[in-house]
Amino acid sequence: MGMQQLVIALPKGKLGEEALGVMDRAGLPVAGVATESRKLVFDFPGEGIKYIICRPTDIPTYVDYGAADLGVVGKDTIVEAGADVFELVDLKFGYCRFVVAVPRVFWEQGPPDLNRLDRCRVATKFPRVAADYFASRGMQVEVVKLHGNIELAPQVGLAEVIVDIVSTGRTLQENDLVAVTDIFHATARLIANRVSYRIKYHRLQEVVEALKGVVGNGG
Amino acid sequence: MVFPSPTPQTPEGLKDWLPEEARRKRLLENRLIGLFGQWGYREVITPSFEYLSTLSAGNAPEAESRLFKLIDRHGRILALRPDMTTPIARLVGARLKGEPWPLRLCYAANVFRFEQTQAGRQREFYQAGVELLGVGGGMADAEVIALAVESLKACGLIGFKVGIGQVAVARGILSELALDAAAARELELAVFRKDMVSVEVLLERHGVAAGERRRITRLFSLHGGREALAEAIGQVGDTPAGVALAGLGDLWDGLEAYGVAEHVFLDLGILRDFDYYTGIVFEGYAAGMGFPVLGGGRYDRLLEGYGAAAPATGFALGIERVLMAAGNVEEKASPPDCLVGGGDLAWAMGRARDLRSRGMAVEVDLVGHTAAQLTEMARHRGIPMVVVPEEE
Repeated sequence: MGMQQLVIALPKGKLGEEALGVMDRAGLPVAGVATESRKLVFDFPGEGIKYIICRPTDIPTYVDYGAADLGVVGKDTIVEAGADVFELVDLKFGYCRFVVAVPRVFWEQGPPDLNRLDRCRVATKFPRVAADYFASRGMQVEVVKLHGNIELAPQVGLAEVIVDIVSTGRTLQENDLVAVTDIFHATARLIANRVSYRIKYHRLQEVVEALKGVVGNGG
Repeated sequence: MVFPSPTPQTPEGLKDWLPEEARRKRLLENRLIGLFGQWGYREVITPSFEYLSTLSAGNAPEAESRLFKLIDRHGRILALRPDMTTPIARLVGARLKGEPWPLRLCYAANVFRFEQTQAGRQREFYQAGVELLGVGGGMADAEVIALAVESLKACGLIGFKVGIGQVAVARGILSELALDAAAARELELAVFRKDMVSVEVLLERHGVAAGERRRITRLFSLHGGREALAEAIGQVGDTPAGVALAGLGDLWDGLEAYGVAEHVFLDLGILRDFDYYTGIVFEGYAAGMGFPVLGGGRYDRLLEGYGAAAPATGFALGIERVLMAAGNVEEKASPPDCLVGGGDLAWAMGRARDLRSRGMAVEVDLVGHTAAQLTEMARHRGIPMVVVPEEE
């Protein structure tokens, strides 16, 4: 039998480009791989590696079903997808925070108490994260699912609160919103299908160790 | 959005089995029940639903949310069985207590779980499996795991593996850390989900030193045969976890004696999601399938809840998943041997009876096709023989 092939799912866009940088430094073949081209499959038969390029939110699904053995995806996407995958390495790039944000004027009118947000409407791209967070605090909120430009919702009376990911916080500032609490911090992770992890253990572990070496993970 | 539907729908997560699928399922179940019989396991059948209190006795409270429940006319809550292990424990406690141990029982049955219908999970699905009741120890575990390997072979799977863990090792290591209950549960969950990033973060948050963190994550990522076991034993030393690991040595002896050691490996991160497991647990993996096709383990405390305190172990194999994994290696369905028709029905029925008594599979034409039409039908369906009355 030849070398076992590993299928690695990479996200389109900036996160994917950063992933390729890390893969390159870990000694994996990346020549000619682009995450923003029409081509979606890049095969390196000699090295036994095949990359597939996916929408970031679909990566947990490809890995959960075993269509990809490994995937690189943000922790935010993993949590929102609720997929049953193994999370092996914190790749330490793609840093962002999940925050609860409200209009500055509203926040400055009263005491800095999150309970003021009870029974409000929450606009978000991440309904699962938002619902779980407020439920865990015993608060009742109405989650309004949007697909983008979340900052708009409080300005037009669609919602009083937003839950979103921020990296620098500039967008919030420009829309006169203020982050009132962090839900959690997220970075890119290497995830694995739970059967691939066991059946292709040694092959997969080589990649895991190489990546850990590059990003400086202990363990 | 709801689309208007001209055909009656089935509830979400349920499915029909069409003739070819049903044939393959029947074939597989018969083959498995036959194999279990060769190992001395006798089939039992239990009711599809039972009292909720019976089914929830051995499981964590959160497992109850996955049960389909109904209320009978006396107001008692019933539930559809989510697996066969609990009903068989009830059956043994109530009906078979007088029989000499060990008991070897097997089944092929449908089970019901309220799950998100994704990634190969249905709400009604079929399992075939065995329970070995009344014997503890590595040799009983070896028998059941060897039978699990033989079952996967009998399914026609190639390139499958059985991974073996031991929940007592994980519990022992976690209890040595002396965390509070909530933190321990959180850590156990992270290990179970193989979320190694969270394991690291949680250990660090609870003040576990770097060297100790490395030792723990290393233990839960070990993978291999005897050499991995030896390394694990070296890592845990003389602790409850160490005692549990030492027992795995006996198990490996047994697996070698049964000639199945090449198909198994040790992975202490395998923890199964049923709370009733107390010792060795295992999962079967098939190449190209994203989910385990088989799962099982030792559950020494479950039976005492049903009045028959005894150690026990067993496994269940997911019929749908195995059929999916074995899809390419199965033989095709064969059409009937013979098509009878072209005369009056009484003649055709008489001929069919005669041919069937000689062991042939015979289909009778009930709608009066001509001999030419029958020949064309037989050619189209690959039926090798057409029997029509001889021309006058």
